[in-house]
Amino acid sequence: MSENIVVRVENLTKSFSRGSEKIDVLEELTLEVESGEFLALMGPSGSGKTTLLNIIAGLDTPTSGTVTVGKNLISKMSESMLASWRTRHVGFVFQFYHLLPVLTAYENVELPLLLLPMTRAQRKVQVMNVLDLVGLSGRINHIPGQLSGGQQQRVGIARAIVTDPELIVADEPTGDLDSKSADEILDLMGVLQKTLGKTIIMVTHDPRSAARAQRVLQLEKGKLVKDSRNFSYVTGNAGN
Amino acid sequence: MNNIEKYLLELLDSPLQLGALILGMIAFLAIIVFANSYLFYFRLMFLNLRRNIIRTSLTAIASIVLVFVVTLVWTVLWFLNLVTSEKAKDFKAIITEKWQIPSQMPYAYEASLSEGAPGQEGDYKIDKSVDAMTWQFYGATIDPEKKTRDNIIFFFSMEPMKMTKMMDGMEEYSASQLDQLNKLCEEMVKDKRKIIVGTERLQAINKKVGERIKLTSFNYKGIDLEVEIIGSFPEGRYNQSAILNRDYLNDSLDDYNRKNPNSKHPMSNRNLNLVWIRVPDKDVFQKVERQITDSPSFTSPAVKVETASSGISTFLDAYRDLLWGLRWILAPFILATMALIIAVAISISVRERRKEIAVMKVIGFTPIQILFLVLGEAVMVGGFSGLVSSIATTMVINNVFGGIKFPIAFFPIFMIPIDAIWWGPAIGISTALGGSLLPSLSACRVKVSEVFARTS
Repeated sequence: MSENIVVRVENLTKSFSRGSEKIDVLEELTLEVESGEFLALMGPSGSGKTTLLNIIAGLDTPTSGTVTVGKNLISKMSESMLASWRTRHVGFVFQFYHLLPVLTAYENVELPLLLLPMTRAQRKVQVMNVLDLVGLSGRINHIPGQLSGGQQQRVGIARAIVTDPELIVADEPTGDLDSKSADEILDLMGVLQKTLGKTIIMVTHDPRSAARAQRVLQLEKGKLVKDSRNFSYVTGNAGN
Repeated sequence: MNNIEKYLLELLDSPLQLGALILGMIAFLAIIVFANSYLFYFRLMFLNLRRNIIRTSLTAIASIVLVFVVTLVWTVLWFLNLVTSEKAKDFKAIITEKWQIPSQMPYAYEASLSEGAPGQEGDYKIDKSVDAMTWQFYGATIDPEKKTRDNIIFFFSMEPMKMTKMMDGMEEYSASQLDQLNKLCEEMVKDKRKIIVGTERLQAINKKVGERIKLTSFNYKGIDLEVEIIGSFPEGRYNQSAILNRDYLNDSLDDYNRKNPNSKHPMSNRNLNLVWIRVPDKDVFQKVERQITDSPSFTSPAVKVETASSGISTFLDAYRDLLWGLRWILAPFILATMALIIAVAISISVRERRKEIAVMKVIGFTPIQILFLVLGEAVMVGGFSGLVSSIATTMVINNVFGGIKFPIAFFPIFMIPIDAIWWGPAIGISTALGGSLLPSLSACRVKVSEVFARTS
């Protein structure tokens, strides 16, 4: 693998069975994502965007094919290994934030650090740094119910980056926000990519959000059909 | 020596209990260390329980009530188990008539039986001044015109000074209570007309300490006694009992026989009901048993020698089905109900939090960590409820109600033992673990992709 490639997906297939019917969600998909790239995954509902994102993030396993993130062949890892790997290497941003409602902003961000061998003081430094980065250092003791949607999503982003992962995956991160808050979140993701050099893979339906990405991939019926940075890059069965 | 010191000494005598104590202390230290390192987990468990206060409170209240009932049931079973367990050293034996219940032996047996009937050189001789006690049952009413349950008194007629040395249950009393009882016994020795009556019996007959009463007997017909109540037993096992100096009964019987030389009292040769002896070990017991059963002096009527525990077991035979039901139906049924209540509460909670559990998995929590988190919540509710219940039950039942009034055989009341303090948390934690196991497994098996597929 090239030094610059963070995610490599090769001949990825994901199928589900519904009764006797076999449904291919992803078919022989091959993809590479470079380090520090901001990639948008677009496509109609059911095209396999979220499934692809889940497999790259180690939340789901492929039916066949391989997925390598960094130097780790995650498609062969057990559930426990994947859990440990995710803590250190992947940050996940959800459409509906999914913060733990009983915890404060600070505690929600601290949650992934509890799984790492760190002292309370070390955790505090790291949590305060990322909350400062997302502009919420003044709201650390607020529970999610006391924050706006945009603020909750910023806490979600802080939680995703607090372990300093190389890869951030975001599933429609602006899907539940008004346009102003959505812009703020996209600005923030731009900062993460440009300033901190994070690799970001974002699933979105929104062309305005996708326009912020360096590269846009279009999926249809489980196949990669368009790459906006380089159309000739499309491999797999798309267009064949 | 106070009760705590006594309890600690008992612990040191029992390797099993000592081991449990050491393990408990290690577990306690581990919890402190764990709590210090993983305080956040405890906080998260607590917050999760607090998010639906009504559900958590109802679960806790149900657990408290059920632990209360189990504690009562186990107290009775624990005590009966204790008194029917064979001891290895310094145990008591009962000598009774072999073929008849109630036992009615001639008083002439007393002198020899109290010494273990030594007949030959080398036989074991019991020191009857400290290790033997006789019981003669004397029943009487204070209102012969209208005998009711409330105006009768049932006496253990015995040597007063043997009471605190030989009677069961005296170890439950404090040193000052025993001192007080000994002083009363000394007064009974000086004046054989003085008696001690349990507090509840005193209330039932509507008399007070210091009053004189006339007793009209219903088993010693014609032997009516005039007595003075000089004190009562401390709250507990002997609330319904009464003690009479045996000399008063025996002298009165002799008087009766002197006055009626041609018609001796029908109880004259049947006025010894039980002889208690204390032996140092099983070998001595067997030896004394042989001495008594082989002796030609005790053939008409024949007598039998049993350990006290065996004798009590015989008495309890009449309650066998009831006790079996308590032990094997009621208590397990309550424990299963507790486990089910916790299972339902935790299942609902897990179902409501599937998305949160999925998020925790996304963040990197392993299935085993999720499992322990959910189990921990259940254990927190169960353990806390159990502890509250057992402490409250022990204090309220013993101090306010004076024990559990559940008359079985000659045990009218059962005091909750100090051991019950750990029964509650043990019941709470074990039923919580049992009840929450399936919901916890379901939580740790939550599939992230499925949960978020439904969300989107």
